Amino acid sequence: MNFLRRILDSISIPVIAVLLGLLASSLFVLLANVSPIDTYQQLFCEGFGPRGCQTFGDLFIFQAPNEDDGTTTTVFSPLYGSGGSRLALILEQATPLILTALSATVAFQAGMFSIGMNGQFVMGAITVGFLGVWLPAQIYSLAGVADYESAPELLRTIMHLIVPLICIAAAMGVGAFYSWIPGYLKVRLNVNELISTIIFNAIAVQLVGYLVNFPLRSDQNNIARTARIDDTAWLIPFNRTVFADVEWFSGARVGVGLFIALIAAALVWFYLKRTTAGYEQRMTRGSSLFARFGGISTGKATLRAMLISGALSGLAGVIAILGVERRVVDGFNQTQTGFDGLLIAILAREAILGILIVAPIFAGLNLGAINLQFGDLPRQLGGIIISFIILFNAMEDWLRERLRGIFKPRPRPEAPEAKEVAAS
Amino acid sequence: MTTTVEMQHIRKYFDSSQVLACDDVSLSVAKGEVHAIVGENGTGKTTLMSILYGLVTPDSGQILIDGAPVRITHPNDAIRHGIGMVHQHFKLVPSFTIAENIMLGIEPNSAGFIDGKDEADGVRKLADSFGLPVNPDLRIREISVGMQQRVEILKILQRNAQVLILDEPTAVLTPQEVREFLNVVRRLAEGGRTILFITHKLAEVKAIADRVTTMRRGRNVGTHYANDQTIREMANLMVGRVVTLTVEKTPAKPAATVLEAHNLLVGGAGGMPAVFGASLDVRSGEILGIAGVSGNGQTELVEAIVGMRAVDGGQITLLGNDVTHALVRERRDAGLAHIPEDRMTTGLNLTTNLDENVVVTSYQNKPYSRSGIFDFAPVRKLAQEIVDKFAVKSARVGEPIKTLSGGNLQKIVLGRELKGDPKLIVANQPTRGLDVGSIEFVHKTLIEARDKGAAVLLVSVELDEILALSDRIAVMFAGKVVAVLDRAEATEEKLGLLMAGSSLEHAETASEKASA
Amino acid sequence: MISFIETYQRPLRIVAIIAGVAVLLLILFGLPINLLQSSIRLSTPYVLGSLAALVASRAGVLNLAIDGKMLFGAFIAVAVLFHTGYDPIVGVIAATVAGGVLGLIFAVLYLRIRINLVILAIAVNLFIANATVYFMRTLYGAFGTLADPSIRSLPTIDLPIISGIPYVGQLLSGHNIVVYLSWIMVAVVWIILFRTQFGRHLRAVGENKAAAESVGINITRVQIFALTVSGMLAGMAGSFLSIGVLSQFVDNMTDGRGWTAITVSLFAFEQPVPAFFTSLFFGLSEALSFYLQGRPELQLPPDLLLALPQLATIFALVLVALRIRTSELLKRRDFAGQFGQELEKLRQGKLAGAGD
Repeated sequence: MNFLRRILDSISIPVIAVLLGLLASSLFVLLANVSPIDTYQQLFCEGFGPRGCQTFGDLFIFQAPNEDDGTTTTVFSPLYGSGGSRLALILEQATPLILTALSATVAFQAGMFSIGMNGQFVMGAITVGFLGVWLPAQIYSLAGVADYESAPELLRTIMHLIVPLICIAAAMGVGAFYSWIPGYLKVRLNVNELISTIIFNAIAVQLVGYLVNFPLRSDQNNIARTARIDDTAWLIPFNRTVFADVEWFSGARVGVGLFIALIAAALVWFYLKRTTAGYEQRMTRGSSLFARFGGISTGKATLRAMLISGALSGLAGVIAILGVERRVVDGFNQTQTGFDGLLIAILAREAILGILIVAPIFAGLNLGAINLQFGDLPRQLGGIIISFIILFNAMEDWLRERLRGIFKPRPRPEAPEAKEVAAS
Repeated sequence: MTTTVEMQHIRKYFDSSQVLACDDVSLSVAKGEVHAIVGENGTGKTTLMSILYGLVTPDSGQILIDGAPVRITHPNDAIRHGIGMVHQHFKLVPSFTIAENIMLGIEPNSAGFIDGKDEADGVRKLADSFGLPVNPDLRIREISVGMQQRVEILKILQRNAQVLILDEPTAVLTPQEVREFLNVVRRLAEGGRTILFITHKLAEVKAIADRVTTMRRGRNVGTHYANDQTIREMANLMVGRVVTLTVEKTPAKPAATVLEAHNLLVGGAGGMPAVFGASLDVRSGEILGIAGVSGNGQTELVEAIVGMRAVDGGQITLLGNDVTHALVRERRDAGLAHIPEDRMTTGLNLTTNLDENVVVTSYQNKPYSRSGIFDFAPVRKLAQEIVDKFAVKSARVGEPIKTLSGGNLQKIVLGRELKGDPKLIVANQPTRGLDVGSIEFVHKTLIEARDKGAAVLLVSVELDEILALSDRIAVMFAGKVVAVLDRAEATEEKLGLLMAGSSLEHAETASEKASA
Repeated sequence: MISFIETYQRPLRIVAIIAGVAVLLLILFGLPINLLQSSIRLSTPYVLGSLAALVASRAGVLNLAIDGKMLFGAFIAVAVLFHTGYDPIVGVIAATVAGGVLGLIFAVLYLRIRINLVILAIAVNLFIANATVYFMRTLYGAFGTLADPSIRSLPTIDLPIISGIPYVGQLLSGHNIVVYLSWIMVAVVWIILFRTQFGRHLRAVGENKAAAESVGINITRVQIFALTVSGMLAGMAGSFLSIGVLSQFVDNMTDGRGWTAITVSLFAFEQPVPAFFTSLFFGLSEALSFYLQGRPELQLPPDLLLALPQLATIFALVLVALRIRTSELLKRRDFAGQFGQELEKLRQGKLAGAGD
């Protein structure tokens, strides 16, 4: 019972924040001369509902049209959808978000307000974008084979296994290094990490933009992009073999990526809560004086956290490229995956479970907002809604004050015996 | 008797800490009187005076100035009524000059623009008129603590304070500076000003106060003429029972040297050195107390010894091993334990629970963790052990500790540090902010550790504590250890002179003369 | 490395000064004049932005939403001119006022409702970035940029006497009014901070809140005021971006300049005049990046050139930190040297600083 109440207590403010955020944003919808109800209906439908969804009710129970005879069947919406349900689409979008949110959490839990996820993400992405082409090519030429088509079965299988692994390791390494630099600057020179990571992000984006436009540019397509990565690097085949039987899952591009993300989440949880290294960085955050006093090497703990954080964001880049896009397109990070992960971590209060819940919701909201574009309103509405949600969520103390009756009172301090704290 | 200040039936309850700081307190002070308010830490003295000065609003009760009821809700109101307050922690802006600080908030200006020279001249004149000369162009960060206090006093005199509230004014002064200060107080009182001062140093009360009000647990337990009471009687009134001012202990049996510090040079704030060639040694089975007014390098010395501050010169040896540049962990592994000055920010992490606090010094060892992964059962056992052995009230394994009282928090620190029978215990102000019961407990624990063979390095600004506990006493002044005496040779007079900078010979001849 | 710096301190200092002067002369007379003119012009948002940062920071509040306020100012300037078609100066005023209003809201949210400063700044920046594009599309139907004939850019001003001075005159004259306003603001901020009562109160609040409070200064009022002024300066900076040289609003116009402005303030140790000169340096880096892009024969990739200001920022951040570190380390070594002498004096019976 206590457990239930604790969960309710911890989600109540975020839920209220979401509602207030939607309310506040409806003002902006009105300013564009559009009905908020209609807009939100379409927003949620596009984000969370099955194809053809029109109303809020359709989000749960939907009258799916049967192609052959024009009649409809009643289905449970989240799972509906041949060729991949909406749920699968959301999960696919949420996967890199989960990873960048984990990345932010690890950094925060060491007391580092690092915003560098975006930069690490694109660095990871370009690394696999490059390796995914170059590495198989090297292996093919070593084996005297022209390409995937002409490669023998055995070689293909081996490559399917090792190429992605190497790519993942490399991307995580690059991401980790890119996160380590601002970490080092902070630990040794006390350079403010908020500012430095923002600048490093900008540098990374420019650097990747340059790489995509010049050295790594593959064809004279309008929008610059790198070459298509080799089939052996692609993760989709895993989905096709392993999940072929799950109808609502297959055909979607989610699969291995999601599992990687979930495993990462479990590992991060274990790391933070159960290992000494995790303990060290959490103590460094709470009070670095205390940590040093106890013998913890706070500099090492901080750097370790930054390395892990960078690796996670790099991994997100891997999933995005190896799992979905197959190539790095100029401007592919328009949606600011890294930054979104940061917001998710803040909203989820850095709780791993919270991240797993908030990330899909966030992804759905974004999806809905993007598709709204085909309606009347620009997708920036999504950003407006989210900024309000963040704002209201951060007003936790103030909101608790105002709504005091509803919430459990704070734990009561020790009975007054010899209290010297306030009275002296 | 014309009453200048009267506080009637003041009540103040703090929600945030659930403490009744003032429980129907009434106080009346006459014009030109020097009135002391005494009591242990946490008995409501500062709260009462904060109410008078408008920093805190009482729940009920009223204040009368010169017989007329007034409403004081903000320091500006208090200032308007001629009340000024000098706080225990000075409220001065370090980069501003003395003149700028004194005139802060009331700067003479024309349409907002300030004439710096006029301001400085005005301040110089003011200071001279009170016999407290200052150089108005010096910056606060460049002057001594005693001078800073003078600035604070001038600040309130500038605002025509007729009633001066002084909160623990002598806490940071050397005995000589204290004497100087008491003279100033007497002079101001003779000039018609009313002085209210908060202190827990009863000797000063006897020296200068006309009347004294004793506070205990938020209540006024009595106002007497200072001459009518002995110090012992005052102390008893303060704690409500007969107080033993000495600690029971058997004579020390010191053995091998555990800690040796030689010619240490340690940097302080802003690159300036705080420890300037200090040397000392501590043997197992003895308590070496370091006496000195706070700010003479003790904190930096302790930090250097435990490994939290870099050493720029000299050497530190622990059990024969050179640890001058060793990590904190290495020193702890060699048997060092540290009870830090600030238990709330350094000794404990108040944002987390008991278990995580208790295991910070040993988490990397078996059985608490194996190859980097925690085993929580031994951690919980350790926490429970400490709670039981040290009778920490209201602390539960797995629960947050931020609501515990100071005494209980310090018990956790002690329990953790003393586990594993450390060879060297460095205790820096271990009883700061604690009630009498907790103080006694800490003292008892330190002596027990000493008797078991530990070497104890005790740093304290309370001379009584040093005299009560130490087997040998070292005095620090201006970053150096100016003398090390056996307890038997140390008198308060001698120590006081050493703490103020006298040479050892001078102090010895002076004290001989005093006792002759 | 530290010991190297310490041993050769004096000669190193001389070398640094000579090098600095040489670089300065090289820049002033070696670079093409239009490049220098652009540098001065392009430094304006950094000048105003860093003033905004230091005013707030000196009052004890780190204003991390400067970028958002700049962007807001840029947008409002364009929007107002679009609707009214008035003289562009109106746009500047509107942007300044808008920035101030936003600063006020920010202050209230932070000081009264007590929202975490960093999260508040993130939310505000995010909101402005999205809301500007949102309105650009919904209210004005514009995609990517908002331009219109009724939006005019600020005219350039020829200073009467100064424009006559050879070479230097060309550098100083012929800029738009926001540029000159930014110079004036440097002086104004300096005077207010160091010569007025309010400025002193502001600095006191930033350095020691308790001290200010004890003399009756209203901390909240001072900080709200500081944040509002900070917002106004940021808004003014934004107006330069949209109607100073161009005459349109572009999605994400500020491009991180707000953050660089904060860095400038840090680098200049929150002093107005050093901030001004540091801003000139960043203006130069920005002008260089455009200049080099316009020189295709050098075959330098535009993306990397665009990153020039960012790289300069990182460089500046590191320099500040290094400067603090080495100065402290050097002081300690200094004293280690003196230590030997002090010890001697001690042995001769003279104690340091006895009594008062």
